[in-house]
Amino acid sequence: MPEGLKINKGAEDAVRGLLRSLLESGRVNGVLALGRTGGANGGVAYSLFTDPGAFVADGAALPLLPFMPANAGGLLSRLTLREPLAGPVAAVVKPCELRAFIELVKRSQGSLDNLLLISSTCGGVYPLDVGANGGLKERLPRYWEAVKQGVLDDDVRPTCRACMQFIPDNADITVALVGEEDLDTQCTLFLNTEKGAEFVEGLEGTSLSDELETEQIKRSHGQRAAYREELFAGVEVGMQELIRTFGRCIGCHACKTVCPICYCSLCYFDSQDCEYLPEIYESELERKGGLRLPPNTTFFQLGRLAHVSVSCVGCGMCTDVCPADIPVSTIFSKVGASVQALFDYQPGKDVTEEIPLMTFEEEELAQVAT
Amino acid sequence: MNDKGAILPAENGVEAAVVGWLKDALNKKVFDALLIPVEVPAGDSFAYLLLRDPALLENASPLPPVMPIQGARAISRLTMRGNGSKRIAAVVRPCEARAAIELTKLEQAHLDNLWLITVDCPGVLPLSDYLEDPAAGAARFAEASQRWDRASMRPACQTCHYFSMPASDLHVGTLGSADGTVFVIPGSPKGERVLEDLNIPLDVALDDWTARVKEMERAQTERRQQAHADLRAGIAGPDGLLDVFSDCINCHNCQRVCPVCYCRQCYFESAALKLPPENYLTRSERKGALRFPPDTLLFHLGRASHMILSCVSCGACEDACPMSIPVAQVFSMLADRAQETLGYVAGRSLEDPLPLATYEMDELHQVEQPYVEIYHKREVQDA
Amino acid sequence: MSDEQEFEPRIIYFLCSWCGSGGGETAAAHHLHYPENVRPARVNCTGALPAVHIIRPLIEGADGVAISGCYPGDCHYNDGNFRARRRVALVKSILDTLGLEPERVWFRYVAHGEGQRFVDTATEFNDHIKKLGPNPLKTRSDT
Repeated sequence: MPEGLKINKGAEDAVRGLLRSLLESGRVNGVLALGRTGGANGGVAYSLFTDPGAFVADGAALPLLPFMPANAGGLLSRLTLREPLAGPVAAVVKPCELRAFIELVKRSQGSLDNLLLISSTCGGVYPLDVGANGGLKERLPRYWEAVKQGVLDDDVRPTCRACMQFIPDNADITVALVGEEDLDTQCTLFLNTEKGAEFVEGLEGTSLSDELETEQIKRSHGQRAAYREELFAGVEVGMQELIRTFGRCIGCHACKTVCPICYCSLCYFDSQDCEYLPEIYESELERKGGLRLPPNTTFFQLGRLAHVSVSCVGCGMCTDVCPADIPVSTIFSKVGASVQALFDYQPGKDVTEEIPLMTFEEEELAQVAT
Repeated sequence: MNDKGAILPAENGVEAAVVGWLKDALNKKVFDALLIPVEVPAGDSFAYLLLRDPALLENASPLPPVMPIQGARAISRLTMRGNGSKRIAAVVRPCEARAAIELTKLEQAHLDNLWLITVDCPGVLPLSDYLEDPAAGAARFAEASQRWDRASMRPACQTCHYFSMPASDLHVGTLGSADGTVFVIPGSPKGERVLEDLNIPLDVALDDWTARVKEMERAQTERRQQAHADLRAGIAGPDGLLDVFSDCINCHNCQRVCPVCYCRQCYFESAALKLPPENYLTRSERKGALRFPPDTLLFHLGRASHMILSCVSCGACEDACPMSIPVAQVFSMLADRAQETLGYVAGRSLEDPLPLATYEMDELHQVEQPYVEIYHKREVQDA
Repeated sequence: MSDEQEFEPRIIYFLCSWCGSGGGETAAAHHLHYPENVRPARVNCTGALPAVHIIRPLIEGADGVAISGCYPGDCHYNDGNFRARRRVALVKSILDTLGLEPERVWFRYVAHGEGQRFVDTATEFNDHIKKLGPNPLKTRSDT
């Protein structure tokens, strides 16, 4: 049974209080968490905080806000890319962000050293266009009501509603949120690792042993599984259908830029390999009669699927950022799920588990060879 | 370059007239291929198609209601590594042609075997508005463009004063033409030759077109100046500016769709800005916090310093922003002032050298800080 | 003591490797002093100074950026200083349009032998920035 610490404060107060005390005592050098930008617009962005004053009641930090302006897995990679952290830094991230970071660590794009990873059982995040121009404020009461009931607000990202990995037991500390009816007055922090337990030493609360997975969480699982099936069934497959779906793709590659797994500084599809000589265009034109320009619209999507689907954590950033309203994350999650099932692989679960394409068994996948 | 044009019959509207004329040119082998927007299979957008088969012109649209991809990008991809043997006519909006001219100067496109064909432009709808209901969007566009009513177009289009194109090879003038006709105006010797090859005589005076274009240019310039003055007042200073960019998520869509931003790897995504954690923590300590990923404002101001001298105010950036930040409005305001300071107009002519690739000995003295000798004396007094 | 006197500006002073730095060396040879908080940063030629590197210090905590290089006609690389002048004009245009105080950027020629002019520039700019006050962008953590 995992060790937990029940704190007699509402979840937001408890988490803010913990982070404030960690900064004030110097036990961490910084905290990566969501926060208000200075604008009057109600803008929200991740920030690396060093001032404990950000974590007071009306301070800038909003660690549990149901919003994801960037996948924090990518941000943790940015933070630890050149070197591991020399001293402790805490980060409050959603489960899929944590999983994305672990996938990046496996690819040598970051380091887990000295990171105190705080996550929570997750009720999803709102799409970017809901949060733009201060639109989150009015949604929050409804959001938290849903979380307390163990259900998801209909308006969160579709991939959130279909997410089965919302219990981050591989974080150092997991804040119990989903299905916790008394969220407003008390909060349980699950201490999954020794590091987690160490960093809450001295924090006021009652120790307990409990299961992260409550009845409400099991029910939520069931609801999400049903929605997931429906969501994936709705994807139109087949070459003609894919061409139709990606017909309005403008090749901006925003999906790639915001994807935490797409870390390449220079994407293959932006490289000279895809800058064709005039003769190539002319011979293609001869052959086909017509040629969409710039080329490689569907090829980019299929190529990116080949590159990342094995590690897709279904965060949904790609759909949110698409200027052409293409449901990229639904397609990528669906393909991701089947690829991951093929290799019996769970992205982000265990940092020691190798990426399927980096390893092999002598006897496997007999169905592939004809 | 003469001041005469040709008349093209257009009983079935501008689009049919232009497509018909180009189909004719294709059949007569005056061009080998066309680069023209065509409706995509699902009917919910338009994409540039390089085609040699006239049958593919069935769903072509020289003036589509949206600009999902800036045409200059398509031209650049095609001709980046040179021109082939095929003579290609590209039908683009004026701002796309201007961007193509800038890209040619920047060595990212080659126009030797490519003819730029433009049409007087009423603007395009914002992409997200159109995608909500493409059929309704198309209808709305058709109706508004007839009346030259820009109210529902992209903000950049609403203040556009270069909607008619002096520097393309061939321009279709729809303003000031008699009902059921349009003007065809050559803009270069290359363009003139095409009309000769098609036996289209240049025998019509362009006074009506010129007058109507000038009238609209005056009105649009006034609107533009007012819009920029209002915007400037509204976002002045760090507070105003950071308000505008407070929602920015650093997706860099604006840079990706911008025709002028051609760098394979943007400086702001390069290793130059990927620093060890100490750097981020030190900066955070200086200010109490560090927005992450860092360098949001640097990206926008830096990108501005890199591209506004070639900015054609097409508005692709604003269309692509997932957080509805008025990027094009800010950048076109910056572009106008910077281009004016350096005496340059982006996309006006291939002959204008890029402003940062040239200089005058005697210019911009307002930037030089005058030396006040009195200061020196004061220091000696205080010593 | 006024706030103005307590405010010590952080100033970056870009100097080209030829005339700019030369001016600094001549000043040193004549035992001339300039304020310690003005930090020289050497570039090969003012023409090699990217626009981004004028903007970046102003976002990250500098109160002022000064740039000194050769006079027109004296550039070791022939025309680097003319390019620099255009680039500075571009940056100032951006700052001015956005209300970001283009007066925090100075561009002044300093020749190799002009030690006094070098220290005068550093001192004058320092006093000028003190009058302007701290750069308001400095305290914004959401940049």
